[in-house]
Amino acid sequence: MNRAAVVLTVVVLAAAAAQAARAQTPAERLARGIRAYQDLDYDSAAAALRAALAGSGRAALSDSGRVSALVYLGATEFFRDRRDSASAAFRRLLLIDPRYRPDQLVFPPEVSSLFQDVRLGTRAVAVSAPPLAQITAAGDQLVVWLYATSYHPIDVTIQRANGALVRTLYQGGAGDSLPVLWDGRAAGGAPAESGHYVLRVDSRGSDGRVVRSVAVPLEIATLRGDTLAWPPEPADSLFKPEHGAGGTGVRALITGLAAAVTVIALPSLVAGGSSGSGDRFAVVGALGVAGFLGFQNQRRPQPIPENIAANLALRLNWQRQVDSVRTENAARRANGRLVIRAGAARILETP
Amino acid sequence: MTARIAALLLACTLPAGPLRAQVLQHLSLDAGVFRLHFRSAASGVGETLSGLAAVGRARFFVGSVSLETSYSQGHLVADTGTAIARDMVDGSAFLAVRPLSWLALKAGPHLRAYVAPGSTERWVMWEAHAHVDGSIIPGMLDANVEGWMAVGSAVNVDPGARGARGGQAGLILRLWRSPLWARLTYVVDQAKLKNDARTETVEAVLFAVGLGGR
Repeated sequence: MNRAAVVLTVVVLAAAAAQAARAQTPAERLARGIRAYQDLDYDSAAAALRAALAGSGRAALSDSGRVSALVYLGATEFFRDRRDSASAAFRRLLLIDPRYRPDQLVFPPEVSSLFQDVRLGTRAVAVSAPPLAQITAAGDQLVVWLYATSYHPIDVTIQRANGALVRTLYQGGAGDSLPVLWDGRAAGGAPAESGHYVLRVDSRGSDGRVVRSVAVPLEIATLRGDTLAWPPEPADSLFKPEHGAGGTGVRALITGLAAAVTVIALPSLVAGGSSGSGDRFAVVGALGVAGFLGFQNQRRPQPIPENIAANLALRLNWQRQVDSVRTENAARRANGRLVIRAGAARILETP
Repeated sequence: MTARIAALLLACTLPAGPLRAQVLQHLSLDAGVFRLHFRSAASGVGETLSGLAAVGRARFFVGSVSLETSYSQGHLVADTGTAIARDMVDGSAFLAVRPLSWLALKAGPHLRAYVAPGSTERWVMWEAHAHVDGSIIPGMLDANVEGWMAVGSAVNVDPGARGARGGQAGLILRLWRSPLWARLTYVVDQAKLKNDARTETVEAVLFAVGLGGR
């Protein structure tokens, strides 16, 4: 009976221990591994850290947790005299976060030195794109920052989701950090159409082959710019009358006729009794016709030059506004507005 | 004088511009043709001649004051068979004041000579003129009437000059937005010798084309 009780107790305790072990979260394993590292229990630390990294799905560590686990694992393996394993852990870390550097207050210089060696031998680029960007006017650009582990040649391209090349943004070496700009236009200069795109960064090895690619999905929506409304035509009330009321024309007629009568009478007035020559009737006729023309002209509404000029200036000003709006609307229709949403970067290929 | 001629040439040859506009604001030139009728009557005996004369006139404006000079010369032939053909030369220089926009007063010497074979008749008259302008179509058609009389006169023919008077009326047509204009004028004047020994009447119809002025 006692023996059976002992066996039962052992079984229960073992089951409880196994249940407890299963119940540990990756974060708890990570914490346990770090404690073990700090206690210089490197074997336990390595086991706990590897267990923390082994999880997948819901049991997987976050990226920051994986980075933390890998740096401690690398340091642990270093102190276990397993440099290859340490280098492998650091390389995995750099592929996740090429910008990572070990804290020199936590890790001794020899660990940092090994990390540095691994970093210089690893070709990877981290991509930082704003989650939301808008290109609304000429000069606006999407700015993507690239962070390289070490200096190496890279290609940065914009592609359609099906892999068709839209535009090559950069080809050349990348060292520490590099901003890459995109104005939202394809290689031909036309604005990108709405759809799914990919910002792809290819890292090339010393032999020129692509050794690693990072893709950032871009969702582009083209929003046609709102066009401006036409400026309203000047109200009729703003225009001044261009013609005054017509006169009677009598004054013009009298002036012409008075001059004509004077021509008829002049020979008698100047040379009394003289009948005068018939030539003067040409002048009389001209004056009479002029008087009649003046009579007709003055009866018509008379133009007011100042008002005509003011109205012309008003119309020209309105026309200038119309032309300006037409130009602006044409530009807005041609350019539109791009809204670019960037997703999480994905690593397409690893060495 | 040289300066005026230079200004005139400048006004005629330079393309339209501020300088030409400024010159033409102070200067006016016109030239044309007279058709003349000359009648002389003495003691019931008269002679009638007629002919053509060329006329040129220049006016220089400074404010409301202007100086006007004119010269004409022509040849008269007898309308009746007995009169002797002669040349007529006429010149004047008037100082004009325009107290109102429609009224100008002028005064100055007026010289006239009839040159016939063997004799020349010379008249010197100091004249006072009143000139009235009237607009028919503003800026385009103007009518004008002018009357004058000699306040002093002399002639180299016995028994000497008694006096003279005259008048004219006409029309000025201005081209729209142009310094060019044309005028058609009827002119008549009569000079008398003392004791009514003789009267000489000159009638003319003038057509001239001008440039500049106001």
